[in-house]
Amino acid sequence: MDKHIHHDPNDLLPIGTPRHWRSLDERAETPEARQAAHDEFKPGAMDPEDRPSTNLSRRTFLTLVGATTALAATVACDKKGRSTVVPYTKRPQEIVPGVANHYASTFPEGRRAYSVLVKTREGRPIHITGNDEHPRLKGKTSPRALSDVLRLYDPDRLRLPKISGRPSSWVEAEQTLVAALAAAKREAKPVLLLTGATTSPTRRALLKELQGAVPTLRHLAWEPSLGDAAQEGALAAYGTAVDIRPRLEKAKVILSLGADFLNGDDPEAIAAFTAKRRLSEPVATMNRLWVLEGAMSLTGTNADQRVPVRSSRLAALAFALAKELGGTANVTVPAGLPASEGISTETWTSLVHDLKAAGREAVVLCGDAMPAEAHVAAALLNNLLGSQALDIRATESLATLKDLEAVRQDMAAGKYAAALLWDVNPAYAFPKAADWKDAFGKVPTRAWIGLIEDESAAQCTLVLPEHHWLEAWGDYLDDSVLTLQQPTIGALYTSKQGEDFLLTLLKGLGATKAPDYHAYLQARWQKEVQPAGSFASFDRFFQSALHDGLVRLEGKATTAPTFKSTALADMAARAFASQPSGFELLLRPGTQVLDGRYANSSWLQELPDPITKATWGNPLSLSVADAQALGVKDGDMVELEAAGTKLRHPVILQPGQAKGTLALALGYGRKTGGVARGVGFNAFPLLALGTSDPNLQFGTKLSKARGHMDLPVTQSHHRMEGRDLVRSFSLAEFTKEAEHGHAHIEHATLYPEQSFPDHKWGMVIDLSACIGCSACSLACQSENNIPSVGPDQITKGREMHWMRIDRYYEGEIENPKVVHQPMLCQHCDAAPCENVCPVNATNHSPDGLNQMAYNRCVGTRYCANNCPYKVRRFNFLEFTADKIEPASLVYNPEVTVRPRGVMEKCTFCVQRIQDVKIRAKGDNRPIKDGEVQPACAAACPSHAIVFGDLKDPNSEVSKLAKSKRGYKVLEEVGARPAITYLADLKNPAIVSAHEGATHE
Amino acid sequence: MHVFDRAFRLVLPLGAIAVLGTVLTVGWFTQPDRYAKGYAPQQPIPFSHQLHAGTLKMSCAYCHGGATKSRAAGIPSVETCMGCHKVTKTDRPAIQELTRIYTSGQALPWQRVHTLPDHVFFDHRPHVNGGIACQTCHGEVQTMKVITREMGMRMGSCLACHRDPHAALPKGSKITRGAEHCAACHR
Repeated sequence: MDKHIHHDPNDLLPIGTPRHWRSLDERAETPEARQAAHDEFKPGAMDPEDRPSTNLSRRTFLTLVGATTALAATVACDKKGRSTVVPYTKRPQEIVPGVANHYASTFPEGRRAYSVLVKTREGRPIHITGNDEHPRLKGKTSPRALSDVLRLYDPDRLRLPKISGRPSSWVEAEQTLVAALAAAKREAKPVLLLTGATTSPTRRALLKELQGAVPTLRHLAWEPSLGDAAQEGALAAYGTAVDIRPRLEKAKVILSLGADFLNGDDPEAIAAFTAKRRLSEPVATMNRLWVLEGAMSLTGTNADQRVPVRSSRLAALAFALAKELGGTANVTVPAGLPASEGISTETWTSLVHDLKAAGREAVVLCGDAMPAEAHVAAALLNNLLGSQALDIRATESLATLKDLEAVRQDMAAGKYAAALLWDVNPAYAFPKAADWKDAFGKVPTRAWIGLIEDESAAQCTLVLPEHHWLEAWGDYLDDSVLTLQQPTIGALYTSKQGEDFLLTLLKGLGATKAPDYHAYLQARWQKEVQPAGSFASFDRFFQSALHDGLVRLEGKATTAPTFKSTALADMAARAFASQPSGFELLLRPGTQVLDGRYANSSWLQELPDPITKATWGNPLSLSVADAQALGVKDGDMVELEAAGTKLRHPVILQPGQAKGTLALALGYGRKTGGVARGVGFNAFPLLALGTSDPNLQFGTKLSKARGHMDLPVTQSHHRMEGRDLVRSFSLAEFTKEAEHGHAHIEHATLYPEQSFPDHKWGMVIDLSACIGCSACSLACQSENNIPSVGPDQITKGREMHWMRIDRYYEGEIENPKVVHQPMLCQHCDAAPCENVCPVNATNHSPDGLNQMAYNRCVGTRYCANNCPYKVRRFNFLEFTADKIEPASLVYNPEVTVRPRGVMEKCTFCVQRIQDVKIRAKGDNRPIKDGEVQPACAAACPSHAIVFGDLKDPNSEVSKLAKSKRGYKVLEEVGARPAITYLADLKNPAIVSAHEGATHE
Repeated sequence: MHVFDRAFRLVLPLGAIAVLGTVLTVGWFTQPDRYAKGYAPQQPIPFSHQLHAGTLKMSCAYCHGGATKSRAAGIPSVETCMGCHKVTKTDRPAIQELTRIYTSGQALPWQRVHTLPDHVFFDHRPHVNGGIACQTCHGEVQTMKVITREMGMRMGSCLACHRDPHAALPKGSKITRGAEHCAACHR
């Protein structure tokens, strides 16, 4: 096959011979895949909804028609627009109706906290972006932070305190619990406080005070999906629990041992990693990512050199690497180690060479779910390399499953007097949930505080509603930055923030005088945070911190824990001894729902998994070879037996997965919550109690079971024949190509030339920077009032996302290369959709936008049929307009809520363009480059999406559009898209002979 | 010729004309332009623009300050009224009612007079900043005792002015046309 990458666009591959493929069907050229490529809408997409048949007689029908007409006539007699308009009685000074306000706050999530900006309209949070004042996150944030405004308005939120199932009051709840705590203190009986992890210093101070007031309090911070192995490894390697943050701006070679550091949770790492990959010229500063992993991860898809290895063998390989680097003199590496794992000598030597050559500029990262030995080996490697691309900080230890099991046994023995669960759900996430529930039921006073009643709340006598984080105060410490969380809306319900509740308990016990958590936090800040000898009053200091959302704590850097080699021999022996047989099962936190806490968010449930593109569920991914041996296809059911638990589960075939490796996402299969209930399967029972790495199971049995499930997977929808849509090449090829140059083709057109008098909006998407995290999709959904449609509709191909990430594989099924391509309306100058609209609902604006007038659209769907990019979305059903409060409060008032029967698509966030235009006009100045930021570009952590005015030759977008890597998708069609894609660049260590010289 | 033929020759065309006539007449009288014009509902507080904007010559922006800063010109908060009426005309029942609303923090729902469909995103800022008088669309407000809708506010009204804005613009304005593309108002 021709390996030349810049195909002449006219020299099309014969249709249907894809070099890049999105699904296995497409690769295998099945007739179904061929047909699907031809059809705009999937079979079934146009079918009317299944309705129960009604036995309506002709008479009844006519009666109803008559009555309806009469009613309609009566209603129509009312004068149009007769409505009221209610101004503020006392307008808050900062609010101008119609103008958005932005507040800095913090989105806390376990051991991380993201400094964010909350956009509010008339006091109502509607959109979240990163806080650009943050020195390291620089305005970027995680996809889950973007989506969490939806949970604020979740109709399932608990609204009133409940005692034994009946509505009650906070006073009663507090009295009950205070009495229980006082009694426990008198009788010296233990009290359980189970929470998630936190980085909040003020919350910790409060918990310490509570501990002082109730000495028998047992506080456990538990993150159910993280696993215990990383902490065990850290204790062995550093003598303390650590938080390891990569500093990839200092790294030239990165080795990941199953570490998924590019999964979207760490925007800082993504920014630093991709900054070295957005090349305009082929230069040697490009970094190289080596990934050794069992299951395919988002990091693995972005690897320059990916080696599929079973996760259980990573530790052994890492120790062998350490030996090569000259460490661990007293460790004997078993003979033939790299080869026995299917790693060729060439691969191994170039990995060793890369690490040695990079030295301090190399870094080794290890995944949370990997065994403790692997974490120790990674620490050893970093120590040997003297890696500077890491920040290691001591942190508080989290509770392990062993700790929880000990507590459970004590509860079962009737030792505990009371228990308070705060934002944790052990009745769901504890592996032996039934045992937990039995034991927990024996605790006399059981309290629960949280957002949405869950499995654990069902067992509690006191069930208390908590503030959403957008309604609450808080502070979070991240190294030398202390971020502040402030309420951006008054409490929607009779809820309280957890800290406030603890404070009232303290007050009840006579231990504090602080009126509320806000005052408590301010008091602590005044004492400990405001720099001593500062001239500014505390109020001013706090106001300025509120404005910025953070304060920098200079000169308070902690010393990094040092590496200890005491446990090395032990760990190495453990690593080499582990020779598990059977399937190994990797249990990972769900990319979207984490440990299930976000399972009730329809935005997150509907966001396709970045790799499998599965929505609404967690199919078990296994390698294609294993699937063939077992005789299963996508969606077939299998029976899985691990940790003594059997589970029937659908499978999905994952190219690139190591043979013998199964991967499953935690956080699904919830039993509560209107959205979460019944979506996917609960994998927590598969976690093994009593092993050192519960998230990695050995000897899992897998057998084919009866049945099949149609998986709501989006990868095969909206596909574009087998054409040259994504371009990906190696640095060596780029070097060759850059010398040749790349001519763009100009097409003749029958239509009159468009003229763009003032602006011509355009976009550049750098595939080399795009890592596929999907933050853009979510930001777009939040900004543009895009509905979630649910799994049934997805199966019919009716998803509504304006922006999707197409994931293409290239090469061998065992270890394919992967390219992620964000696909959205290309705003073509010669748009094929515009010509076919019978009512001129879609046409071109003088600033280069392909505009869509919803109120003109009659829903013929001709435009979608004629769109070569498959980016138009049709409202087959009433997805949004029937939403009522509180769910409707999340809508952006600047964007129409589209009803049924209307076509829609990306608008380049025209509401933002218009706003900036009008502001600039008001100030009598030109629009600055970068002033208009569509939601996707603002959210992209890797700066892969650049938007701007193509008429301005000095704009960033104009300059990038001329890049040597630039190309337009389907340029040969002649649609003249306004989006230029920059070809993906990979920097492989091993380049096959005909691709050119090895890059050094 | 059949006996009924003559009748049909007369009745059918007449019937058709009658139906057409009815449709056109009803259509004419109910078209939004006519229908909406002159809408002057009774307001909860008998506020007179004639007095405030006419006699007292208060600037429109004193109460509707959003017009230069926001898409919506906005209805003033009760607090804005109370800025003067804490001391002015406190003996009038309407002002006493206003004071009651203010002190109780109750809402004051005014009847909406000027309204646009939900899919129209009209923005006051460029119009006001461009020097177009409020009266162009809202009528001679300073003479209205009860605020009355003077313009139909249909797309035709917008486009007529956007295509030829000279009459509405102040003398010497450099603006020659308004935006005419869909996305300027619909999104």
